[in-house]
Amino acid sequence: MKYPRSLQTRLSLILGLGIAIVWTVATLSTSLTITKEMNQVFDSALQETARRILPLAMQEISGRESENTEFTLEGVPPSEEALTYIVRDNRGRVPLRSRDAPLGIFPPVATPGFSNTPTHRLYTETNARGTLSILIADPLSHRQDATHEAFIALISPLAFLLPASVLGVWLIVRFSFRPLRGFQSDIESRGGGDLSPISPAKIPAEIKPVVIEVNNLMGRLARAIDSERSFTANSAHELRTPIAAALAQTQRLIAESTTPNTRQRALQIETALRRLASLSEKLMQLAKSEGAGLIATQKTDLVPVLALVIEDFERLGHAAGRVVTHLPNGAVMANIDPNAFAILLRNLIENGLKHGDPEKPVEVYFSTKAELRVVSPGPAINPETLKTLTRPFVRGDTLASGTGLGLAIVKSIAIGSGGSITLHAPMRNGTLGLEVVVALT
Amino acid sequence: MRVLLVEDDTILGAAVRDQISADGHSVDWAQRLDEADLQLRSASFDLILLDLMLPDGKGIPFLQRLRGRGEVTPVIILTALDQISDRIEGLNAGADDYLVKPFNLSELTARLNAVARRYAGNPNPMMQIGDLALDLANRLILKAGKKITLTAREWVLFETFAQHPGQLFSKPQLEDRLYSFDAEVGSNTIEVHISRLRKKLGSTAISTERGLGYRLGTG
Repeated sequence: MKYPRSLQTRLSLILGLGIAIVWTVATLSTSLTITKEMNQVFDSALQETARRILPLAMQEISGRESENTEFTLEGVPPSEEALTYIVRDNRGRVPLRSRDAPLGIFPPVATPGFSNTPTHRLYTETNARGTLSILIADPLSHRQDATHEAFIALISPLAFLLPASVLGVWLIVRFSFRPLRGFQSDIESRGGGDLSPISPAKIPAEIKPVVIEVNNLMGRLARAIDSERSFTANSAHELRTPIAAALAQTQRLIAESTTPNTRQRALQIETALRRLASLSEKLMQLAKSEGAGLIATQKTDLVPVLALVIEDFERLGHAAGRVVTHLPNGAVMANIDPNAFAILLRNLIENGLKHGDPEKPVEVYFSTKAELRVVSPGPAINPETLKTLTRPFVRGDTLASGTGLGLAIVKSIAIGSGGSITLHAPMRNGTLGLEVVVALT
Repeated sequence: MRVLLVEDDTILGAAVRDQISADGHSVDWAQRLDEADLQLRSASFDLILLDLMLPDGKGIPFLQRLRGRGEVTPVIILTALDQISDRIEGLNAGADDYLVKPFNLSELTARLNAVARRYAGNPNPMMQIGDLALDLANRLILKAGKKITLTAREWVLFETFAQHPGQLFSKPQLEDRLYSFDAEVGSNTIEVHISRLRKKLGSTAISTERGLGYRLGTG
């Protein structure tokens, strides 16, 4: 049998089974005691009856005219008697017996006191002179019936009590486990990024140390994530500033240079710096997408973030007017970190602009269920290439410039923030192009 | 226009300063927030360019403090591309616009002029003054359909008048817009620029209020 993993089921089973065993053993032991006690009561009644009947029998027998006739006690009405008796004299004759008493059940020689035959319990009492003995018999079946009835009376409530006890145990265990279930659902319901401490107020004392340790662990994790975030942000800043400085100085050089050669070289430096800026930006985004911190501590509205990202593209001369948005009325709340969402969206749009048809817009759909769809009409993509597009440094069959990281970053952020990504090529409402669907949580 | 640049990186700061100067504006450069605060308390600026990570603190709380004490000078923040939350926070804290590092200096010029126009109450970059047609975004000026070439300082000076028609500007006010704190300005520099502008645009382009200053003429 498979051992149940749930502590609640395990406790209910063990306690229920324990109670059932205790009940059963107690009932059996009680029935044995009752049987013994009942036998003693029956014996006592047998002895008492014999002692009552013997003087009466002596009186009856002495008042008779004939000595050889067997008689029953005068004046005793016929009845369904369990007890039967015979009075035997010292010559073996039976001058008196109870009504219809079968003589065969009495042994020819009986010792005073209690004795057993296969069918009866016997008691023999002799008068003081030793002339008369009374043998009184109680059928064993009579006693067995009584014991059986007592046993049934004792055991029948168990049919109700046992299931009721098991149910009671289960309910009590379930009730006692309520704080634990609350603790469990508290942990289950919180988002992956929620590292706030769990309140130990209603937690049982036995579990409290676990909760305190879990809180300590989450605290350490939150500090580690914070320092990782701040490290990423600082390194991004440290790297970005010198690139920005070099680019700005180069642009000043271009503006101030008077000789065509110098200007030409400066333009080449500017191009190289732009590539460097773009690649370092992508590598930082990839590092962020694979690290922690993709889930915000609370849900945020992503529409203003989307608007800012679109504005960034509008500011770029070549992309102005090429991005068309379809936004819902109202907020779109999701758990994803707003900065991570901006990176994801920017990469999707960049991908569409780079590889899509330059004559057609890249369309961005965002639904209130936080489903983001970026549709870019463009060249056909074969299914084999489609499978590899979300791998880092893999590029489709294209001459367009790119790092081959965009969709890898998108996938990493989508999955890391608890969402999913699906690529459709061709796009669902067309014969060519690419449609990327990201379902956020 | 007088610009306060708050940027700690000396190489980037120098390039930005030179670009703003080349556009004809005056620029003062602070490399720390306390230095910027001091400059803001001692002079009035037309625009602040604010980096968000300075050695003595972050730019956003500084901006909040500025707005909190009623400072209404337009602010453009310099932010990183992937820190969109900083940008949202900055705009919520009262920034007028933002520039994403690394940025093109031409974009810097465009943003600077756009914010300045917005604050002058005329976001439309196209203007007509008499027979003068101005394209403020592209720094183009046509007189009776003929293109006129102005130097950067001449342009900034004329743009100042064009964006505040009717407003009287004193000589020190105009000097502030053209030169930073530490620049040495000749006593007749403004007169020289005004005279050149009149030669190029016509004698009625700028009128003189004796002993008080100058204002936009009839074109």
